[in-house]
Amino acid sequence: MRIIPFPDRGRTGSDETVLAELEAALSGGAEGPRAESWRELREDVRSLASPMAPGFERALERRIAETRAHSDPLRSGPRRVGRGLGSLRGHRRLVVALASGLAILLVAGLIVRPWSRGASPPEAGPASLPAARELRGSARGAESEPAVRASSAPAKSATTSSNAPNAPSAPSVSSATEAPDRVQQRAASISLGASSSEVQAVADGVARVATSAGGFVQSSHVQVQQGGSSGAELTLNIPSAKLDAVLASLGQLAPLRSESQSLQDITDSYEAARRQLADVNAERQALLRALSAASTQGQIDSLRERLSGVSHAIAQAHVALQTLSRRAGNSEVEVSVLGDRSTSSEGFTLHRGLHDAGKVLLVTLTVLLIAAAVLGPLALLIAATLGGRRAFRRYRRERILDSH
Amino acid sequence: MSSPGEHESKDAALHGRGGFDEGAFDALYRSTVADVHAYAISLLGERPAAEDVTALAFERLYRARSRLDRGRGTPRAWLFAIARNAALDELRRRQRQPHAEAHESVEERDFTEAIEQVERRATVREAMGRLALRDREVVLLKFHGQLSNAELARALGISESNAGTRLHRALVRLRERCADLDRQEVA
Repeated sequence: MRIIPFPDRGRTGSDETVLAELEAALSGGAEGPRAESWRELREDVRSLASPMAPGFERALERRIAETRAHSDPLRSGPRRVGRGLGSLRGHRRLVVALASGLAILLVAGLIVRPWSRGASPPEAGPASLPAARELRGSARGAESEPAVRASSAPAKSATTSSNAPNAPSAPSVSSATEAPDRVQQRAASISLGASSSEVQAVADGVARVATSAGGFVQSSHVQVQQGGSSGAELTLNIPSAKLDAVLASLGQLAPLRSESQSLQDITDSYEAARRQLADVNAERQALLRALSAASTQGQIDSLRERLSGVSHAIAQAHVALQTLSRRAGNSEVEVSVLGDRSTSSEGFTLHRGLHDAGKVLLVTLTVLLIAAAVLGPLALLIAATLGGRRAFRRYRRERILDSH
Repeated sequence: MSSPGEHESKDAALHGRGGFDEGAFDALYRSTVADVHAYAISLLGERPAAEDVTALAFERLYRARSRLDRGRGTPRAWLFAIARNAALDELRRRQRQPHAEAHESVEERDFTEAIEQVERRATVREAMGRLALRDREVVLLKFHGQLSNAELARALGISESNAGTRLHRALVRLRERCADLDRQEVA
């Protein structure tokens, strides 16, 4: 008869009770026959295995020594790279953090790169206004030139423009092309930079400059948008004699972004209109003299009819001459106030500093958000793949246990 | 083969806050190599395969020593988890029923032991052989690995309560097999 003092024989107990008893017995923390029987069972199970062959023990030690040699950079120079990668694998969190940082920097670079070219999306609109205005000015000049030629009086025109960073003083066409005996029409456009919160104040200042110079505001459009793009467009009509002074005053209201002036010689048109008026006046005088000498009712009626037509022609010539005089005496100035963000860099204040810091923070958060949007699903995919692979390998291993 | 409880004092040094350096690996190797081999040969039933698994387990542990997270288990638990995976991979690769080790040496060793012990161990051997591989594996891990229930759970990759349940069921079945053999002997 075999004597098997199995520890759990004839005893019912919960898993926890039996396991606690087993744990205490195997760790040596319990005494008594039951604990001794658990320890005997352990020894019985352990005794079933054959001991290691002495040759294997020596071979295993050599094999582990080789493993160490291949893993040790001091003992194996060519494998330093592998060792380095192995140590990187050991610092998985560091590697993941570095990879995430690089990915965020890459995304940030892709986002920031277009903005760094000086044509950021928010600034593209306002910054392009002066150029568009100059183009419009050129087109207008091209349109007006045939009209002047149609009056058989070739007009001469000149345009100068400048951008503020390259031209500290406002350009002027008067000194180069203005002639004292000529009748000339002048116009100008100017772009001022201001922060979004300053657009309204600058626009008010522009209007004050116009009225103080004896001119007026023909049209204005001011747009102030909190957190968005702001700007103002004003068209001034001021005496030509005060154009330079007005432009100088405008340049003091806000940083000058660009300025252009144009001059068109309308002397020929003016002289033609003046001659036309003189001719019709002379014709009227002649008709009046003829009327005073008329003897028949028929002659009188005919002369009065012609006088009526001449009077109408005189009025038309007078209006034309006045129009040309106004064109020469007044200048149109188009003012653009650009509420763009680059202006805030001109001069440092606490408010602008906080504003810039907020924008940097916003851009940073945007970059992080986009990076998270890109990396999040990617990380989930990788984690799901790795988890699935691990689960499948474990499933295959566990299945072996059930197959035997 | 280390004696029961012997590994506890050696592992105590390994379980400290210090890194799992060369010295700690050497200590773990010396204290566990016989146990790992015994576990592998008991599970696989073939000496060459058991030696391969033993060597593989220590090589993998050495390469992974820098990733060892003490918060997720002791080095001994890690080692037996690696050995278990290697052994199961070996079983899966061979798809062969593990058979009992040639026990000539055991028998020879047991000649000097008491008859009662010899008979008891013969019964345990036969009962172990009749256990399902899943149950036998848990018993082998518990007794050869000398793992606590928490370490056993870590080696099996399951929760501690599940590990305890599996161990308890395996021991109950081992008891039943022993009782069956006892009854057959009496009859």
